[in-house]
Amino acid sequence: MRSNKGTWLLLAPGMLWILLFLIAPLLMMVYVSFWTQTTFAIKPDLTVQSWVNFLGSEIYFGALLRTIRIWFTVLVITLLVGYPVALFIGQFIKNKTLQTALLVTCVIPFWTSFLIRVLAWRPMLGKEGAINILLQKFGFIDAPIEVLLFTELSVIIGMVQIYVVFMVGPIAFMIGRIDESLIESARDLGASARTIFTRIILPLSMPGVIVGAIFVTVMVLGEFATASALSGRKVNLLGNIIITQVGSLKWAFAAVAGVVLTFVMAVFVAIMLRIVNLRNQI
Amino acid sequence: MLEVRSVSKSFAGALAMRDISFEVQENEYVTLLGSSGSGKSVLLRVIAGLLQPDDGEVILHGERINELPCHEREIGFVQQKYALFPHLNVFDNIAFGLRHSAANAISDETVIRKKVMEILELVGLVGQENKMTGQISGGQKQRVSLARTLVTGPKICLLDEPLGALDANLRERMTIELQNIRKELGISFMHVTGNEFEALAMGQKMLVMSDGKIVQQGDPQSLYSSPRDLTTAKSMHSFNIFSGDRMADCLEAAISKGAPKAKIAKASHCAVRMDGIDIVAKTGRATGLAATFITSEFLGNKIIYFLQLEDGQICEVEDHMSLKEPKNLTANSMYLLNWDAANILFYDNNEQLMS
Repeated sequence: MRSNKGTWLLLAPGMLWILLFLIAPLLMMVYVSFWTQTTFAIKPDLTVQSWVNFLGSEIYFGALLRTIRIWFTVLVITLLVGYPVALFIGQFIKNKTLQTALLVTCVIPFWTSFLIRVLAWRPMLGKEGAINILLQKFGFIDAPIEVLLFTELSVIIGMVQIYVVFMVGPIAFMIGRIDESLIESARDLGASARTIFTRIILPLSMPGVIVGAIFVTVMVLGEFATASALSGRKVNLLGNIIITQVGSLKWAFAAVAGVVLTFVMAVFVAIMLRIVNLRNQI
Repeated sequence: MLEVRSVSKSFAGALAMRDISFEVQENEYVTLLGSSGSGKSVLLRVIAGLLQPDDGEVILHGERINELPCHEREIGFVQQKYALFPHLNVFDNIAFGLRHSAANAISDETVIRKKVMEILELVGLVGQENKMTGQISGGQKQRVSLARTLVTGPKICLLDEPLGALDANLRERMTIELQNIRKELGISFMHVTGNEFEALAMGQKMLVMSDGKIVQQGDPQSLYSSPRDLTTAKSMHSFNIFSGDRMADCLEAAISKGAPKAKIAKASHCAVRMDGIDIVAKTGRATGLAATFITSEFLGNKIIYFLQLEDGQICEVEDHMSLKEPKNLTANSMYLLNWDAANILFYDNNEQLMS
């Protein structure tokens, strides 16, 4: 009995925190999404009008589809770019100190502020930016590539650079944990390097891929700053819509967008956790 | 069948093993005894092809295999920690080599199933094939690891401390099972261990390795009864070694028992079997090496007494319960140690056994 009481006492602060700052705001967000919104006021009279407006509007529904498309593109690219880096750090670097040093190197950009990291892409990608200057100097192009900045491409480039490290870390961690004797056994049993990768390393690193994918998903779906700064406000994601709606005091509409975003994230995380049982793997 | 000729290997200048030579015959169980860090696992890895030797040759059936990649050598390697693939069940672990061998993969699942079920029966794991490796015991893991290697039909199977992680009961049972499995398949096993009893009990031939060298090889009985050098004698953990001043005391005790004086004059070390020593009370007429009784260890079928000589060296005396009654010794009391001259082995200043 005493140990039960002790357990509840230990759990109480965390549970209270989660209740006040996670469960309650989530429920409030769902509730507010059904409130009645007028131009200058919001009333707690329940209606589905905001939902109908959101799902019926080409602009807002289009923003949802765009958000999903950009998120998926960023997710795939961070995986394609991040996995080889993680494989190199986790499998080919045997020295643990060097492994740690390389992972720290990956997070060096985080020593500066998020906004600076995003805005630093402007002088890189602009018409007279570093990339265009270099490409022209080496004769690869005659005229500057204009599509590099203030487009969906620039948003994707920025997001991949910012979030790829969240993919590299968990995968490198899982690959680093694969016992060398497993690889040796597979070699001794006749497996080629490719088979060892596809049959041993890849399946055993899947928990890292799942954790990385969840990190990237949660951050990209909630993004607004990168899209705003690198697209010149031309690419509107759901995050940007929430910001705009909150700015014009349209709480019900912002809540609808918030609920939709949370739902998309929850579905993705649930699917990922169905694929790999993280509790067993980590 | 397998011949290792003058093989050496070093890592970053540190010599892991040097000038290793030995042979393993067809259908032979060879044990390799060595303490931790003696280079025995490195030797297995070189034979398996997981490491390249700096010098020397590995020859299998008369053919040099140094340059062959490990999967083409037809040498099976059972890892010390079993190295089972944690994401695969028992069946898929065993079938891995059959399905994914770059050289001769089997695509017919019926053939794979037949082979896997046959080997499962041999190692006594029928009914466990659908379990994940985390759901089976240490002994079963060891058998899965062995089955996974044997199912690919190697010419020789290398076992790196296969019983090291098992409890005493299981280790004893697996000792017999490993021998039975080998006999049934008619292939050679090379079994590496740090346990002298395992090496003595299982090997038809035994190699003793120390500091990266094979110090002695032969049949277990002769290695145990008369180790050719002091390192082998130490590896057996069955001898008390006396050198320096203790050597003089020991010799004095030996001379009094009629040991040949000419041999004694040239000896620098001597070794006395732990089970060949008598402990007698220190009375007026008794002679022998004086020692203080510290403690004893009861091991069921035998008892080990620990006594400290005057210079601090610990001397172990082993009495088998089937031969002697347990002694009632008083802690911190002085006793005399006696032995037959025939139980002493003499070693020269090069630590070699004197004939």
